[in-house]
Amino acid sequence: MEDVSWADAFSLPSIFDPRLSLYKEWHDFVFFDRDSQVFGLLNFAVHGNPYDGRRGYGAALAFLVGPGEKIHTALKLIPLSELTVSAYNPDFIGDEVAVRYLGDNSFTITGKIDDISLDLKIPVMLPPVTMNQIGLDILARNQINLGMLGAAAEMARVWDKWVELPRLSVVGEIRAQGADYHVDTKTGYQDHEGGRFDWGSVEGWDTGVLLCDPTSAGEPEKVSFLFYRYGPSGESSYGGIIVKTAGGGERFFGSEKVTITKSGEFTGERAYLPGVTRLLYPDYRPKVPATIVFSAADSSDSLEITFTPRAVCTIVVAGVSDEAETTFNEMCCGASLKASIGGKAYYKLIPCWFESVRPRHR
Amino acid sequence: MPLRLRKFLDELLEVLREDYPKQLTRLIQDANGLTYLQVLDKERAVITVRNRTITITGRAKKKEINVRVYISKECLFDVLEGKLTLAEAFETGELKVFGSPQTLLRCYAIWERVISLARTSPRFYFLTYELR
Repeated sequence: MEDVSWADAFSLPSIFDPRLSLYKEWHDFVFFDRDSQVFGLLNFAVHGNPYDGRRGYGAALAFLVGPGEKIHTALKLIPLSELTVSAYNPDFIGDEVAVRYLGDNSFTITGKIDDISLDLKIPVMLPPVTMNQIGLDILARNQINLGMLGAAAEMARVWDKWVELPRLSVVGEIRAQGADYHVDTKTGYQDHEGGRFDWGSVEGWDTGVLLCDPTSAGEPEKVSFLFYRYGPSGESSYGGIIVKTAGGGERFFGSEKVTITKSGEFTGERAYLPGVTRLLYPDYRPKVPATIVFSAADSSDSLEITFTPRAVCTIVVAGVSDEAETTFNEMCCGASLKASIGGKAYYKLIPCWFESVRPRHR
Repeated sequence: MPLRLRKFLDELLEVLREDYPKQLTRLIQDANGLTYLQVLDKERAVITVRNRTITITGRAKKKEINVRVYISKECLFDVLEGKLTLAEAFETGELKVFGSPQTLLRCYAIWERVISLARTSPRFYFLTYELR
């Protein structure tokens, strides 16, 4: 747990770094409260040269889904002169909104992102896991193949940092555009990524986490997935699904064992960020399937997850050095899990965060 | 105190000159010949593009103006923040635009490119919010 402070700190680049203008790094906090039916994705980011207030900036973003799939979104840019981040701790302190990591191994998120007010206490329940740890673990336990190496090389090229906090407790109050939500859940998650790249060089990924409650019968400790696209046309992809069982076991289903099927088209609630996306592309409505099914089987273990998006927030980010644009479809989903791992059966509908990223025109 | 419209346009031009010189050259080429009246709440500014130069003034001869745009600050920020579409702003009368269809299409394409640039420029974003 003591590692959180440095593992989740901002990895600010050297002032002499030739790719300073391409620097970007962020915290993503995700949670779902099953009682109040509130989903939250909170992103706190630094973009561009962090030593030049004319070229760099902070950003705070909120995507909340309340009962009845009511969506609230907000995005606020923060001048660097009003923002404190450092390489010594995970703090992201702006004048209006602040993420603080306290000595008792918990975060607080307080303040306002535009018209969304946050007052959250977020104890860290499990220690951090880094991309290197996950990657080495997969390479050590599985037969290495070209897809695995291709995706790993691409991720290493793009990302300087990829850390996750696999379990967080999230307690507090949210006021979003006139609606008040109380949140009290042990199914929170955080990841923290950073790199020095432009969006035009990224083919995207599909990632997400089933926000499991291991104390609830029929649920594993954790299910997460990442499929990373790479190659000149972005048509190659490799990844997999990791299931952590309640007993501490772990099972990896690599791409070669996984079948992904998509059907229908999502017709529910959508939001777009930044707001000018609607002005620039009034008819832009990236296709989101009504259901996405991951099926996998390997020796005696099997798994099927059916994702049903409930609400979608499309975020379009623009490249710095060219006209490339990348679309993030952030989805609050229900995930129907049917699995048999190590002789234990799991059968449950679990809330899920699913992020699908690709160039805007694809 | 919010930034005045003409001061905003002057500073915006300066940001474009410093950070996006190539794009500015292209914008000027595309906008050559335009005399554009912008009314924001009760403030007025005239943007004139002639022979590779842009000038921002308070008035122009009526005959010379070929585009007129009237919008309130509230409507402008609602549109920029995605709370209101352009179509809705037209329907409610909060945005009024006058000019020949051909000239309006040129203006639309120019603003589209300017707004597109703004997404990667913190200077542009913070300057815009000083107008509020």
